[in-house]
Amino acid sequence: MRSAASAIAWQFRQQHRWGLIAIAGYLFVLAMAKLVIVERAQRINLDVESFAFVVVVPLTATCLYFLSVFSFGLSGDLAARESMYPARMLALPVTTSALAGWPMLYGGGAIAILWFGTRPFAPWPSGVVVPVLWPALLAASLLAWTQALTWMPYPLRGMRVIVTVLWLAAIDAVIMLALDLKASEPVMLAILAPHVPLAYLVARAAVARARRGDVPDWRGRFGSIADVSPRTRDPFPSPARAQLWFEWRQYGRSLPWLVAILLPFELALLFPFSHTPDLIYEMLFVVLFTPPFMAAFVAATAARSGVASSDAYGMPPFIAARPLTNGALIAAKMKSMGWSTLAAWVLIFAATPLALRFSGAAPVVMERMHRLVEVVGMPRAVAIVLLAAALLLASTWKQLVQSLYIGMSGREWVIKASVFAAVTFLAVALPLAVWISGSRKAMAVLFTSFPLIAAVLVFFKLSAAVWIAARLHRRQLLSGRTLIIGAVCWDVAVFALYGLLVWIVPLVLIPSHVLALVAILEVPLARLAAAPLALEWNRHR
Amino acid sequence: MSESVITVSALTRRFGARTALASVSLSVPRGGVYGLVGANGAGKTTLIKHILGLLRAESGSVRVFGLDPVADPVGVLSRIGYLSEENDLPGWMRVEELIRYQRAFYPRWDDAYAEELRKAFALDATAKIKTLSKGQKARAGLLIALSYRPELLVLDEPSSGLDPIVRRDILGAVIRTIADEGRTVLFSSHLLEEVEQVADHVTMIANGAIVLSAPLSEIKEAHRVDGRLLSLDEIFVARIGKA
Repeated sequence: MRSAASAIAWQFRQQHRWGLIAIAGYLFVLAMAKLVIVERAQRINLDVESFAFVVVVPLTATCLYFLSVFSFGLSGDLAARESMYPARMLALPVTTSALAGWPMLYGGGAIAILWFGTRPFAPWPSGVVVPVLWPALLAASLLAWTQALTWMPYPLRGMRVIVTVLWLAAIDAVIMLALDLKASEPVMLAILAPHVPLAYLVARAAVARARRGDVPDWRGRFGSIADVSPRTRDPFPSPARAQLWFEWRQYGRSLPWLVAILLPFELALLFPFSHTPDLIYEMLFVVLFTPPFMAAFVAATAARSGVASSDAYGMPPFIAARPLTNGALIAAKMKSMGWSTLAAWVLIFAATPLALRFSGAAPVVMERMHRLVEVVGMPRAVAIVLLAAALLLASTWKQLVQSLYIGMSGREWVIKASVFAAVTFLAVALPLAVWISGSRKAMAVLFTSFPLIAAVLVFFKLSAAVWIAARLHRRQLLSGRTLIIGAVCWDVAVFALYGLLVWIVPLVLIPSHVLALVAILEVPLARLAAAPLALEWNRHR
Repeated sequence: MSESVITVSALTRRFGARTALASVSLSVPRGGVYGLVGANGAGKTTLIKHILGLLRAESGSVRVFGLDPVADPVGVLSRIGYLSEENDLPGWMRVEELIRYQRAFYPRWDDAYAEELRKAFALDATAKIKTLSKGQKARAGLLIALSYRPELLVLDEPSSGLDPIVRRDILGAVIRTIADEGRTVLFSSHLLEEVEQVADHVTMIANGAIVLSAPLSEIKEAHRVDGRLLSLDEIFVARIGKA
């Protein structure tokens, strides 16, 4: 390697070669599927939006991967105050401009290649009109801003996620508005043109700050509040309580903090739009889905077995050498995530009614509630609201813990493969769902075959659970008593959900045995039970 | 013959094509300071991780207090004090929180001894771990490994991060105290002068195999040149050079 530029390029290529090869293969398969299946059979007659969706989803998934790769986001702590720019690179004898510029250039180049490589497939054979340049510039701008904001040191932990999400959402909103106003390609280019240079300037400043170890610190302002509160010094009553405290302090507070920071921005929008019912419902939808949505980000950190280890995915000796069983370590994580869920929802349940009341939007919501009561009656209406609240809570907790079995494995290849599998599944499932929803015939086939599909899924779920339970028992990770208690609790949850569904859903529409299958599928079992097994695999390598 | 605290039999471990431990057998008797020496990458940490149950024996067996550390991690780890070379204490904890957290796992935790050590090591109770220097972090790790007076103390390269004067005073005092009380210390290091000062028994590892294992006095007696006792450093160079 004869220059810093080629060394940085080599690093990206070498570190992510398998991911990049997988993406190239995946796009090749999609292209072949389109050439062979769509062209030959001509049976899938997608409308313009669906067709764009088929193209956009895989492209978006790939762009997200590029965002992680070129911002060095796969190998750092997103919530940390310190810059995520690799510390070892900061010491290279290279100018700050080069350190910020080359990764930005390579990222932008990769995105441009992706766009110009796939775009020719999009207009053919349906004749859909696809813009020429601006989507590539939009993706490059989003990448450049992600890099700049990821490399920036922040005064508070978790602030990086908030700032990045809000800023990228703001850029997205401007673009959506421009599209709504039917902006032409030159206008779109004019809107997007300043972003990459501006992001570069911010990135250069961020890397410069990181290089001189300049990390702003506002913790004192909040720390002084914490110092006023009495600090508990009583001994923990048990090792399990001590571990629960550790998990809560290490990971548990992240979700309530993120929700607390986002919620005021979301609820503030109720005030200017308090007389527009559609917007009020949209905002309430966003508010109610904030905890489960943010939980997915928190889970990525919480599911890691350790952040202080020399092996970023492995388990730090400080935790691995705890005289606790693997089951107890997992139980502490799950309990902590339960408290985290409750804390986040307490904030939502406390702040939302107040915001509705003071913004004047409450009558609009109450009117909708009265209509629900009129249609289904008071007891069912109460049950529906309680069930919805319980499902939202449960889905938040589920988001936090369902990937523990992947993170606890401590294997980089398992974690990266699961991310890739999830993205691939979404890239296939979402266009398929769009296609099915637009086809009456497909919908009818799905409706009639749904019980069979659900039964097959239930079979796989229960088979996996039995296999996992047998291994948990054989390896003495969980006692027979704990396994039986767990199975009974799961049964109770399934029966309770089934009872509620039977009561709420008219059986003329969906037969009770299908509701039973839905209840079995909805209550988590196999993935949660697999977490202690994964931890054992990681802890005793 | 005294009872063995650690018994390792024909332990082999490979990481891919590389053999980290090749049929290692070892018996650590109760009540002594056992030095494990070897160059970086010789297999010391891999052996210690097997003793703690953090690595599973691919072939051969590991018993600590007669128990399998993988099958019974609680039974083994509750009797071991461990100071990791990784220095991975959670940075967000204060020293007093670290002590409070650690004591919950060990019923025999000695509050008075912990406080005595904290003062001896000049650790501010309210300081966050991440604000401590490398040497102070090592001291904090040592504090929480010692305060429940474990039956077996495992120190993996404990000297890194401590300045020479404090290193000699602290390690010498701690290791001797523990050994005098009939407890056992397994002490890995590549700083042989340090090992020579405190160890009763020395095992040398090179390329994953034990090249020498005997009481320190016997090793020294067996290595005389012109009537002069060689230092452990010289013996190490001579033996490892041959290995």
